Amino acid sequence: MIQVTNLTQIYKSGKGIFDVDFRVKEGEVFGYLGPNGAGKTTTIRNLLGFANATKGSAPINGKDCSKEAAQLQSMIGYLPGEMAFFDNMTGLEFLRFMTDMRRTKNVARRDELIEQFQLDIDGKIKKMSKGMQQKLGIITAFMHDPKVYILDEPTSGLDPFMQNIFLALVQEEKKRGKTILMSSHIFEEVQRSCDRAGIIREGRLVSVEDVNNLNEMKAKTYIVTTASKSDIIKLDSSNLDTKVLSDLKVQVSTSYPYQPFFSLLATCDVTGLEIKHDSLEDVFMKYYGEVGDFDE
Amino acid sequence: MILMNKTLFIANMKSNWGVFVFIAGMLLVYVVTSVSMFDPESAGAMKAMFDMLPECMMKAFGFDGLGTELTGYLAHYLYGFIFVVFPMIYTIVLSNKLVAKHVDSGSMAYLLTTPNSRIQIIRTQALYIVISMLVLLSFDVAVLIATSEMIQPGLLDICPFLALNLVPYLIIVFVASISFLCSSIFNETKYSIGFGAGIPVIFFVLKMVSEISEKLDVFKYFTVYSLLDPDRILTDNAYTTILSLILVGASFLVFSLSIIIFNKRSLAI
Repeated sequence: MIQVTNLTQIYKSGKGIFDVDFRVKEGEVFGYLGPNGAGKTTTIRNLLGFANATKGSAPINGKDCSKEAAQLQSMIGYLPGEMAFFDNMTGLEFLRFMTDMRRTKNVARRDELIEQFQLDIDGKIKKMSKGMQQKLGIITAFMHDPKVYILDEPTSGLDPFMQNIFLALVQEEKKRGKTILMSSHIFEEVQRSCDRAGIIREGRLVSVEDVNNLNEMKAKTYIVTTASKSDIIKLDSSNLDTKVLSDLKVQVSTSYPYQPFFSLLATCDVTGLEIKHDSLEDVFMKYYGEVGDFDE
Repeated sequence: MILMNKTLFIANMKSNWGVFVFIAGMLLVYVVTSVSMFDPESAGAMKAMFDMLPECMMKAFGFDGLGTELTGYLAHYLYGFIFVVFPMIYTIVLSNKLVAKHVDSGSMAYLLTTPNSRIQIIRTQALYIVISMLVLLSFDVAVLIATSEMIQPGLLDICPFLALNLVPYLIIVFVASISFLCSSIFNETKYSIGFGAGIPVIFFVLKMVSEISEKLDVFKYFTVYSLLDPDRILTDNAYTTILSLILVGASFLVFSLSIIIFNKRSLAI
């Protein structure tokens, strides 16, 4: 459905994207994962035909977005990474405006989404909070029931409750056979909702993986607190990847199988056990065993 | 071929009525006062009053040659300064708001992700400027004629006066096309506003400078506003016709160029 082929766009600063190449199959949820500034938005700009690639192409459904934008756009739902609307309009006025611009007749889906996301449609957009604006953007992207979704950092600004509603919406659309490309810099989000993920770093696609494979590879980090110092020494001298944090605290990183770690824990007097959520940076480091410079 | 997008045109009206009303209102105040200020009997007295001002100052503001006849008086009084500077502000503001600002803020992304081609979107914005300027001027001219008929019945030569308005409108549209070009081609706001407002303002300043004294006369060749010569427009039909055709052609060219470049541009939205 989406074919990004040797896509290269180089900015004057020398940054950009280089030979990015991946496919998103019909009916698939594809996560586009990378730290800020890695080139996710640049790729999306090319997909939508806003930017002109230096080299390569990025057709959707076999059509080039910059040349055939008018025909293609009615089957695409796009959520920009940066929120910018017609500020002087109210939420409802903006949704009506977009409906008219797209010449869609049916507004049932729109009303359903407004209900679902509890959007206050009567307030002026410029007075809305970031989260409220993000909801408006999501409704705008979904309300015309397109075949393909291109979502740039869709959950940014949403509270955890709304994030869940959104991710459920993505699953629902997937069941209806829609194709979804969503970019993110949060590993957990991609892990929860995507089938496959492309990982981009410094403008280059480093890997395209099944999300399940990524999960297996991803080590979990636990912070263990024990009652005595001897337990810490016991844990530290095991085969596990450990880092002593204080006299009574140690950090343990382990991936499947977890059995050795937990049987060792059973012999200790554990007073506290926390899971440390890995940042994308940690995942990269574990995945590639190298340190990159991430400007988060 | 769909010339323009109605939905977008109406949205433009809704978000830009403020500047429209402000400029139309300012012009209206000048129109009404200038008509009521005119008094054929005391026109001589007023002329004497203006004569007390330094000559260069009067010339710079186009108050010279006010004459004692209403048509010529209005032509000089209005088209010397007021009907140049306010429409100029209007077109500078609109050009920037309709294109560059949408690109800068990113809201252009919403316009372009609808099933309307980039050309249709940008052409609608260009036509909005041209049409709304026409409506604005027509409204003020209509009020001017009505006020004249009420306060000074029979003194205004309506037909020549209507014809007199064509050339200023076309000059305003041509200047607007330059602002629009700048708004459509530059990525950075500092350039789109800098050139889009800078070029018209320089034209305007050059016009004022060129009228101060004979020595500075040469500057008139560097500004499009010096084509606005009310006396010649009122008397020389051939001049008016050729000038109008050239202005229409030039504006069409610059607007087309804006649309073509914008259509091919790589946008960072």
